[in-house]
Amino acid sequence: MRRKLALMTGAGSLCGVTPALANGWNMPVGVTDVSRDIHSLHMTIFWICVVIGVVVFGVMFYSLLRFRRSRHTDSANFHENTTVEILWTTVPLLILVGMALPATATLRQMYDTSEADLDVMITGQQWRWRYEYLGEDVGFTSSLSTPRAQITGEEERQEHYLLEVDEPLVLPVGRKVRFLMTADDVIHSWWVPELAVKQDTIPGFVNENWVRINEPGIYRGQCAELCGKDHAFMPIVVHAMESDEFDTWLADRKEAAAQEALGVDREWALDELMERGEQVYNSVCASCHQVDGSGSEPAFPALAGNEQLLSDVEFHIDVVLNGVPGTPMAAYRNNMNPVELASVITYERNAWGNETGDAVQPSEIQSRLE
Amino acid sequence: MWKVVKSVLAAFFGVQNERQRSEDFQHGNPGAFIAVGLVLAAVMVGLIALVAILASR
Ligand code: HEC
Ligand SMILES: [Cu+2]
Repeated sequence: MRRKLALMTGAGSLCGVTPALANGWNMPVGVTDVSRDIHSLHMTIFWICVVIGVVVFGVMFYSLLRFRRSRHTDSANFHENTTVEILWTTVPLLILVGMALPATATLRQMYDTSEADLDVMITGQQWRWRYEYLGEDVGFTSSLSTPRAQITGEEERQEHYLLEVDEPLVLPVGRKVRFLMTADDVIHSWWVPELAVKQDTIPGFVNENWVRINEPGIYRGQCAELCGKDHAFMPIVVHAMESDEFDTWLADRKEAAAQEALGVDREWALDELMERGEQVYNSVCASCHQVDGSGSEPAFPALAGNEQLLSDVEFHIDVVLNGVPGTPMAAYRNNMNPVELASVITYERNAWGNETGDAVQPSEIQSRLE
Repeated sequence: MWKVVKSVLAAFFGVQNERQRSEDFQHGNPGAFIAVGLVLAAVMVGLIALVAILASR
């Protein structure tokens, strides 16, 4: 018996420390202190359960065999045994308290979002994620980048099939990053196993969570709350970089945002707007209205050859800025800057055989946003 | 009184022996068990709250 136990605990500690077990069968050890704590809790409790299982089933099967009917055993016949009852009450109590103590300590750590070095607002939208670096004027939308042809089976699936995006969330290593998490339309859930974060994002609520990543790398995740047609097509990619590298990245993004803000006042050529508009459209709008503007009737209207839309630019601008309440068509006025809004509208009015020639200017959008 | 407290504590724990049980049922007064039960439940809640407050300081 003692040898068996030693074997068992040996195997236990082996599996507890080797990340080799993070091979798709087990949860990953992850790259934050909290994720490590969660993993070791998970392994500890797993092995406690294994030991209990072996003991309970061992006793049961031993009794079944040893005292089986064909051996003519006489059953003991008694009504109560206070000692045994106290034992089987106390032992589980101690085991439960023993598991609750470390679990509570980890939970307290997970809930402590105070004193963060960086705040990132995460917003779930059908069907993409929006990230905003609060106080930094940097924000962008992160959409699936797996080519359509891989999804329809015309091309071979690549390594990160459905787990790749156009713009990953970039985070610094070694700094405490607080997430403020919400959603625009329905409940989503932001889940990255390596960071041990799985948090519902709920319209009208702001949930908090935090990470301090220890190792640079690319960490992938998915939406974990069924949220409609493209629930499986809104992955998450986190790119964790060294602190100074991150600062450079953030400064670049700030610079680019400032440049774009400057661009609001000038007159844009149709070609420029079309080029920018195509990027925005494919990243944000194509999941519903399709890359070729054909929509998916009756749920999502076609934009290509849409007479009502093409004859009425006012209506077009109004729908994109303010959305259509009560439908999946969201208001984009707060999610995009004037350049993005103007260019995506221009793109829709001139792509796929739509040939209005309208170049909606960022300055015009700007004046409507005020 | 002490006997009542002991029986109530045994009930909290979930284990009581047969001798005590039959004695309680023959001589006990239900009101006393209920009253002591309520008081001890309040004490237990207070103790847990205290532990939680101390632990989260
Ligand atoms: C989540 C799905 C979804 C996304 C993403 C989406 N739309 Fe829509 N859109 C809709 C739906 C649904 C309607 C129809 C609303 C209604 O019932 O009137 C609509 C309507 C429209 C209309 C009016 C068409 C008409 O004939 O009434 C325009 C223009 C439009 N969307 C532009 C955009 C643009 C630009 C984007 C990207 C910035 C976008 N949409 C992203 C779902 C979406
Ligand atoms: Cu979702």
